[in-house]
Amino acid sequence: MSKTNAWHLRDIILLTLIAIFFGVIYWVIGPLYNLLTVALTPVGLGPAANDILMGVWVMAGPLAGYVFRKVGAATLGEFLGAVVEMFFGGQWGASTMISGVVQGLGSELGFALTGYKRYDWTSLGLSVVTTTIVTFGWDLFRNGYAAYHIGLLVALFVIRLASTFIFAGVLTRAITNLLDRTHLLSRRSA
Amino acid sequence: MAFVKLSDLTIQYQSYDSKVAWPPTIDHLSATFESGTLTLLTGPSGSGKSTLLKTIAGLYPKFGEASVSGSVTIETSSTQPRVAMMFQDPNQQFAMDTVERELRFALENLQVEADKIDDQVQAALDYVGISNLRHRQLNNLSGGEKQKVALAIIVAMDSEVILLDEPFASIDPAARQTLLIKLRQLNQEAHKTVIIADHDLLNYEPYVDGLVRLSDDGHQLRFFDRDAAHDVFEAFKNSAQLDISVTLPQPNEPTAVTLNQTSLIAGDRTLLKPTSFTFPEHRVILLTGINGSGKSTLLRAITNLSNYIGDITVAGVSTSRFHKNQRYQQVGLVFQEADDQFLNVTVAEELALSLKHSRHPEYFQARLDDDLNNLGLADLREHVVYSLSGGQKKKLQILIMLIMATPILLLDEPFTGLDLQSLNTVVALVKDVQQAFKLTLIMISHQLQGLAPLIDYHAVLANQTLTYVEAIR
Amino acid sequence: MNPTLKFVLAVLIALEISFTSSWTVNVILAVIGLVIILAARPGWKRLLSLIFWPLIPAVALAVAILMQSRSTGNTQFAIVLFTRIYAYVFIGSAATLTTPIYELVMSLEQNAHVPTKFAYGFLGGFNLMPKIVTEVKTIRVAALMRGETLHFWSPQLYFKAIIAALRWSENLAEAMTSHGFVEDAPRTHRVTVRIRSRDWIIAIGSLILLQGLLFGLHLA
Repeated sequence: MSKTNAWHLRDIILLTLIAIFFGVIYWVIGPLYNLLTVALTPVGLGPAANDILMGVWVMAGPLAGYVFRKVGAATLGEFLGAVVEMFFGGQWGASTMISGVVQGLGSELGFALTGYKRYDWTSLGLSVVTTTIVTFGWDLFRNGYAAYHIGLLVALFVIRLASTFIFAGVLTRAITNLLDRTHLLSRRSA
Repeated sequence: MAFVKLSDLTIQYQSYDSKVAWPPTIDHLSATFESGTLTLLTGPSGSGKSTLLKTIAGLYPKFGEASVSGSVTIETSSTQPRVAMMFQDPNQQFAMDTVERELRFALENLQVEADKIDDQVQAALDYVGISNLRHRQLNNLSGGEKQKVALAIIVAMDSEVILLDEPFASIDPAARQTLLIKLRQLNQEAHKTVIIADHDLLNYEPYVDGLVRLSDDGHQLRFFDRDAAHDVFEAFKNSAQLDISVTLPQPNEPTAVTLNQTSLIAGDRTLLKPTSFTFPEHRVILLTGINGSGKSTLLRAITNLSNYIGDITVAGVSTSRFHKNQRYQQVGLVFQEADDQFLNVTVAEELALSLKHSRHPEYFQARLDDDLNNLGLADLREHVVYSLSGGQKKKLQILIMLIMATPILLLDEPFTGLDLQSLNTVVALVKDVQQAFKLTLIMISHQLQGLAPLIDYHAVLANQTLTYVEAIR
Repeated sequence: MNPTLKFVLAVLIALEISFTSSWTVNVILAVIGLVIILAARPGWKRLLSLIFWPLIPAVALAVAILMQSRSTGNTQFAIVLFTRIYAYVFIGSAATLTTPIYELVMSLEQNAHVPTKFAYGFLGGFNLMPKIVTEVKTIRVAALMRGETLHFWSPQLYFKAIIAALRWSENLAEAMTSHGFVEDAPRTHRVTVRIRSRDWIIAIGSLILLQGLLFGLHLA
């Protein structure tokens, strides 16, 4: 959208609106997460629900990164999404804000590695990988994943990578393709 | 005291497609709005009134993706002339949650000293007569109340030039009159220069000094003095009158939509008292009522987009018993905001989607080329729907919903922004399809001209009740 | 308590308990959080949902540790994870339930010196929340009327939401500008938000106490 890194009022409002929109989506799929967790808990795989849906939680990051093409967009997008979710009364309380920053930095890293110059599958793919790694690292501590046996760890990581690829990668790409075809973003000046 | 001078002003929107430049919306326009006057700016929908006001207000080219050349000069005694603007949509002009906070926000922006802010807030609210709204949540106010708050902000900011962009489009006549009286008072007592843009000229005459019409090509502003303006106002009044009559529904007609003790509430206002009412099947029903009376809310309630109390039965099934997906196979809505209707990117994709799920694809496939030609959409198939003009969007929107051939179709102001020729084409198309498949149409329209051949019955929403009447005017 | 300090404190606490494993500290924090929540007198429904919903991830994490750990008999760590979730939620809710978003934003502007465009841009967007909820509904219904069902994995759902957001952000930014807002320009403040010494004492005191507890329990 813009060639500058400056944030203007309009961008910040837009970013907030997108974040709130994702807050609403999280609200809509909250029951799905709970159902999955309840279903998987008896076999001790409850946390896998988090990995299965991880891609949805982290979508706001790459989407914001793509829409704004500014340094910090992905992080800020995820973080605002988390703040909104917390005010909605999300299930993770104060840790939501930390997770928001962690997830945001995860997807930001993908764009940063391309120097904020590429907005195609390369940056999106990188972003998928960095998001998965960074968020997984955080869950090693927050959710105690570090204690699991190695087989489960590998399985959870692969599930998370797949989920992130599908939502933060494929779905995000589909959304940005639609947006690109309208030329609405390229038309918006800085 | 301030006058507004436009010199060789050209405003051109940046095209969506870099290969095609759009024609300028305002084209080398020069004009002067005299200091201390209240002027009504008119012109057809889409002629650029809004664009012109936003440029005078200094919002363009900062916003709006438009390039501006030439100049706007505001001559005034003060060093920093203030230009205020009231917007068309009352719902998107406040940043804060309460009335008081929004007023404080505006005064803080002007760096008014902290201990003077509350007095100025109170004075502005008193001036507009809405002190009782001071601590209210903006989201709970009616459209009219919101526009009064917007005016109070303009008063508090003490702007010399006040611009209003179709400010009465969604508010009730009483609020409109209050606002006009206050504006006239600001203009005559405080010598503010006021410009109101509106395409609806009804009941303006006593309040304005003059009328200005923006030409279609955005090149000329034609000024009418009071006498000349009188003729324009009269002509408009006559053209807006329809004066035809229709019959009342028969008591034993089969019904498409039934309200059973249904009531509608918006915030803390009752729009419809518990009402039992039927909309007959296979008929075209015009629904009218003053702005803000709840017509749109009623259509949204029938499609389960707004909450309601009581029961609404559609096609013989209570809406609460419908499985969600089945309900919308029985009833569709042509949204007031055209953009809300679209799902895809191009015109062709929108048409293809409707044909894919239409109840009668062969019928529409066979006539599609003709329809597109008649509607002037034939060459726009590969265009992005969001880049169409207001009128083109409306035409496409109606077409894609007609193609669905949903048995019950609700239409919320479907003819906004259509010129007379397009209107006649659209009305003929709607009538064709309605008769071919015996659709039930419930239609809200301000625009009555040209609708006579379409309408079977006329329902009025007034004083929180619904009634059928014979006259349409 | 000053909103900025309150939220910083909540986040620091959440961060610290993410990397430590004392269930007693978690319980103490959860209890303190709950007391603050109760003092804010939330409705019954809200309170029950605050207690019930975290149960799902909390049990899931605890059971997973019991069944999937490398070492057996990790009951201790299961209890830590279980109580940690409640500490997160109650501490977080203690902050959100006692702070209207407006006050938080005012404090961020005046105390944390967050640029005004961020503070008010966020607040303006946040206040459009009811419209966004309606818009999501409208998008899904518009699709159903055309015979398409949109799910959370449908690109059109997000695409249409962004199109609407683009339009609204433009309108709201224009309105705020016409209400005198200028990016990075100085503003006055009708209500001054201060960080009083009491706020600092509570914030720093809480953190010291937390270190003491964690350290003390570690020794014991």
